[in-house]
Amino acid sequence: MAELNETIHQPVRLRIMAALVTLEVGNEVDFTYLRGLLDVTDGNLGAHLRKLEEAGYIAVNKIFVERKPRTFVSATVEGRRVFQDHVAALESILKRK
Amino acid sequence: MNISPNEAEEALAAIQRMTQKTRQSIAGSGAHISLIITGIVWLIGYMCTQFLPGNIVVYIWIGLSILGSILGTVLGIRMGRRVRSPSTASYAKRIGIFWLLLVCYCVATIAVAWPMNGRQLTILIVLFIMVGQLAMGLLFSYASVWWVLPITALVLVCYFLLPGFFYLWMSLLGGGGMIVLGLYIRFRW
Repeated sequence: MAELNETIHQPVRLRIMAALVTLEVGNEVDFTYLRGLLDVTDGNLGAHLRKLEEAGYIAVNKIFVERKPRTFVSATVEGRRVFQDHVAALESILKRK
Repeated sequence: MNISPNEAEEALAAIQRMTQKTRQSIAGSGAHISLIITGIVWLIGYMCTQFLPGNIVVYIWIGLSILGSILGTVLGIRMGRRVRSPSTASYAKRIGIFWLLLVCYCVATIAVAWPMNGRQLTILIVLFIMVGQLAMGLLFSYASVWWVLPITALVLVCYFLLPGFFYLWMSLLGGGGMIVLGLYIRFRW
């Protein structure tokens, strides 16, 4: 049976994962774009991304585009699986209501 | 970890809102942009082809093609800044070569099949473009594949069943259809 995931359940991290999982597999999103999408501050987003990265749920890719540093973020295979499990667990709680 | 059904409901609602917001924001990897731009080019271009003399139409098509290419490139670059597909980035050179070769094959096919009338020439070019779009979609983003098939079917139906209104059909159903589809993807998907 699917279980709730404490790391993912935090509201901002839940929205980060929802956004990243919506992308096609292998695609990554720009940090600035993600910040705008979630309507959070740089520091707040950075802290939550670190937590998710440490858990292995997301991959952070720092590259240079036109000689400017850019950060791209994507959901890992493990992150996608754990997120789906978390959603399934939430749905099963609702069904038991 | 235990949560109440109400909390679960709120979490699911938050996920749904975020998913929808992300989808609308990136809208199928930018498929809507190419759809709307191509749709506008088709709508204006084919409408002019149906009603205006040939010597004017040539210049209109050249202008529209240049404008469409510039707009598509600029908006594509803007979209690329938001969402990046490593597979696309690493294959950019091959994608360019593919489109260049496709144009060469299209020109060769036209040369072999010449003489052709305007309708035949148009449908051949459109079919080659659709093949290119299909190849790109199958390789990089399934989201941009599905719309190619109905548009191709519409074009073929018009070519065989309504030859007298071919350009008008291409304008309204082909061009208009792409614009409506693009707007639908952008705002409702």
